[in-house]
Amino acid sequence: MKKKKMVISQETMDVDFVRKVEALSGTSVRRCFQCGKCSAGCPMATFMEHPPNRVVRLLQLGQWQRILEGRSIWYCASCETCTTRCPNKVDLTSIMDALRKLSWDGHGPSKESYVQLANKLFLQNIRTYGRQYEMRLAAVFNVKSGQFLKDLMLGPKLLAKGKLKMFHSKNKNMSEIEKIFARIEEMRAKGEAL
Amino acid sequence: MTPKNIMEYSYYPGCSLHASAGEYDLSTRELFKLLKIRLTEVPDWFCCGATPAHNVDELLSLSLCAKNLELAGKVEGDLAVACAACFSRLKTTQHVLGENDVKRAQVEKAIDAPVTLDGKVKHLLEILAKDLGLDRLAAAVKKPLSGLKVACYYGCLLTRPTDVPNLDCTEAPTIMERVIESVGAETVAWTHRLECCGANFTISRPGVVIQLTNAILESAKAAGADCIMVGCPLCHGNLDIRQKEIEGVYNTSYGLPVFYLTQLVGLSVGLGADKLGLDAMMVNPMPLLKEKGLL
Repeated sequence: MKKKKMVISQETMDVDFVRKVEALSGTSVRRCFQCGKCSAGCPMATFMEHPPNRVVRLLQLGQWQRILEGRSIWYCASCETCTTRCPNKVDLTSIMDALRKLSWDGHGPSKESYVQLANKLFLQNIRTYGRQYEMRLAAVFNVKSGQFLKDLMLGPKLLAKGKLKMFHSKNKNMSEIEKIFARIEEMRAKGEAL
Repeated sequence: MTPKNIMEYSYYPGCSLHASAGEYDLSTRELFKLLKIRLTEVPDWFCCGATPAHNVDELLSLSLCAKNLELAGKVEGDLAVACAACFSRLKTTQHVLGENDVKRAQVEKAIDAPVTLDGKVKHLLEILAKDLGLDRLAAAVKKPLSGLKVACYYGCLLTRPTDVPNLDCTEAPTIMERVIESVGAETVAWTHRLECCGANFTISRPGVVIQLTNAILESAKAAGADCIMVGCPLCHGNLDIRQKEIEGVYNTSYGLPVFYLTQLVGLSVGLGADKLGLDAMMVNPMPLLKEKGLL
């Protein structure tokens, strides 16, 4: 695939989007001077087309589409190594969170539907059951992603070890959890939160 | 210390400890009971949101944690947390809400209650090493883990980022080594104790986990470790449950049992295999423990 040439101009630089990332992440991309320490320590950089330092550089240039089109943000494992090591206190882990949130909100297509699906199911489980049942999560993920055979051989072994719990104890705070989800939706609808 | 000579904590086990990491929950309760540390489970706690929530919705993540902190505040004592991810999220929430008034106001609206940040959140390691103290822990030992070479695996969230968990140094922590050495074990120096295992990609991208976790197992083996010790159910899942699969993919053999810290410390203070959930481990630890005369 031929790479699109990057044109830096007032028309192609979307500063508003970058300000949103900065507000959500509570960190300034302008602090970064491209030392590359984040990418050097990143365990996932090898899977990304834009390693962490380049993600920040693209933000500095207002070229967010290039980031959201790719898979980098969905391969970040949130290990916090970049944030820990940044000499300029750029909180890259939170920048990745902000970018995923904005991508999730529909700001651009993403190549990483599997990670998004897993996140979506995880949040649905909290809203429905209050707690997470990992093996149930894994089973539903397999069905929804069409990978019926993934980790199939692990099932019986986990069952024998008592690690497969598919049943849910009733949580007395369920209505409270639902209210939190609903209030956040309402705040966003009114524009009170990003 | 309360006058009754019993240490009191509220306890947030987290979802994994009630599902795939039942042995971590069991060994924690048994060990703490023996050490006269009272754990009272936070009633009807719910999921902290873990990585998926903050990954796509920080406000939701902060709100879930703030509500859990409020529930924990109703139980006496500092909050004891077993899972590294829950620990990280709860501490991050306290850190972010303490510094960012805008987010704090949003969270207070979402949970419809004022946010209280004065409760202390502590990982089990912290309680053993700092609150109880290594001397008193050592005094409780009945069966020193002599001759057992342990690779202490921190993973990501126990120590990172700077200024948030404040458990130990971010780049050269020693708290796990200090705890396990105080009960008689040896520790090995190895390269991958702070590297990421791929964590929750185990569901969406297992190939990534297999690659990262293999490097960790390889490093522990090369350093001469008999076993690995962890303080996080996700690290445990990847290192223990996936170990056989990894051996197959890389055509090698590690055979490294992966213990929770409470299981190993529990062994040293004389708890039996049934009280530590050793039979729930996928890599069977019995041959190693028998060889070392620990069972």
